[in-house]
Amino acid sequence: MVKIGRWKLFQVWLRLLLLQGSWNFERLQGGGWFYAMAPILRLLYGEKEMLRIAREHVGYFNTHPYLAPAVAGAVIRLELERAAGNDHGVGIAEFKEMVGTPYAAVGDALFWGGLRPLAAGVALLLAAKGLVVAPIVFLVLFNALPLWFRIAGFLSGYELGLRSVEFLQRRKLPDLAIRAKEASVVLLGGVAAFLVFQLLDGEQKPLWLGFLAVPAVLLCGYLARRGISTLLLVLISSALIMICSIFSADVVVWLP
Amino acid sequence: MIATELAIGAGVALICGLDRTAALQVMISRPIVAAPLVAWLLGDVGVGLEIGLMVELLWLARLPVGAAIPPDDTQVAIAGTVLAVSLGGLLGQNGLEYQLLCLLIAIPLGKFGQFFDRFARQYNGRKVAQSDRHLESGRFRAMEQAHRMGLCCFGLAAVGTYLLIICGGLILIPILAPLLLPSLDATAPWLRLALPLVGIAVILGTINVNRALTLFGASFGMAFLLMWLV
Repeated sequence: MVKIGRWKLFQVWLRLLLLQGSWNFERLQGGGWFYAMAPILRLLYGEKEMLRIAREHVGYFNTHPYLAPAVAGAVIRLELERAAGNDHGVGIAEFKEMVGTPYAAVGDALFWGGLRPLAAGVALLLAAKGLVVAPIVFLVLFNALPLWFRIAGFLSGYELGLRSVEFLQRRKLPDLAIRAKEASVVLLGGVAAFLVFQLLDGEQKPLWLGFLAVPAVLLCGYLARRGISTLLLVLISSALIMICSIFSADVVVWLP
Repeated sequence: MIATELAIGAGVALICGLDRTAALQVMISRPIVAAPLVAWLLGDVGVGLEIGLMVELLWLARLPVGAAIPPDDTQVAIAGTVLAVSLGGLLGQNGLEYQLLCLLIAIPLGKFGQFFDRFARQYNGRKVAQSDRHLESGRFRAMEQAHRMGLCCFGLAAVGTYLLIICGGLILIPILAPLLLPSLDATAPWLRLALPLVGIAVILGTINVNRALTLFGASFGMAFLLMWLV
């Protein structure tokens, strides 16, 4: 079996950081996938074979960018075995198709749907206090897990090949995604409470008014669920606030 | 002076725009990072923090999944910050109400970012046939080069969105500022609260979590009471 040097592997890993560089509606990440795998394919195959093999790698491909290294590591292992003449029953194109979509689904739920709001919530609390470390905290909190998956996923894929799927299964990512989302909701409740309290306290308004924020948020959430766009909600709420301010002087006299 | 500041903004717009989809995705493209970054380069990090705070949650619920293209909150945050710092310096404005005016103009214009982004993806799609021809003729290096050119498309789309928002702001803000700033003066703190709350509401409305409303309500109530009573 051909030995692949660390530098070559690192080169593929680096190229995976540009996986979505030529993203398009026809093949999604297909072009980026070939771009990432090209150094290995060139190493393993001669010019004639390369054409046949490359056709398998340029087609449609889509997965989560943070979990793509796990797929790539396994595919490199499979390519090594194929180049050495070992047939393991599962084709490389089949493997990519088999894992790409589930990895995309779980990655979207965990990283975009769970971890990102969680890190953003923490950073917003710091930003609301005027702390300039807020962006750094966000970057550290958010990137720790994706970076680990990008490195460990790639290495485990390369070590384990087809069995690398077990590596991700053991992490119970769907459960982790649900917990991250639940934590995000709780944290966003705290962020909302802090922002409302900060405003009422600063403006010297009665604090009980803060509880009115909950139905307002729930109404906006309901409208968003019914398909009203964020932009429209922003414009409506801004207009309402400006209209209310016209009458605020009349209302304030009724407040205790 | 303002040209230099706009150019610095364009540089940040390019780097953060690439991070958004095409390269790295380490999330320097999020408004809470991009806005303070450009504001720090322009010498007023506080403005960037404020704008990042107001924009961060707005479209956070719009996941960049598959072929879905969310509105370009990165360029809204960057261009909004550049307008607030640079144009604000020229107009002699620097308060929260002026930052909000910049944002309220930048947010609708950010919608155009989706068109630029879609155009970049469609352009990349048109290059697929060319890439296939390279493949059949065994020119693999040319295929790799075609992929790198895709990065340029995304970069141009990001800068295009940035320039569109900046141009819109440069035209509209000097006209609207004298008309709207007096009324924004009284409402600015409330609008500053409304933007993140709308973002939180949209997240709650779209997040797929059982008992999300119970969790949110309990958390809000507990945190608010604690701050009130302690």
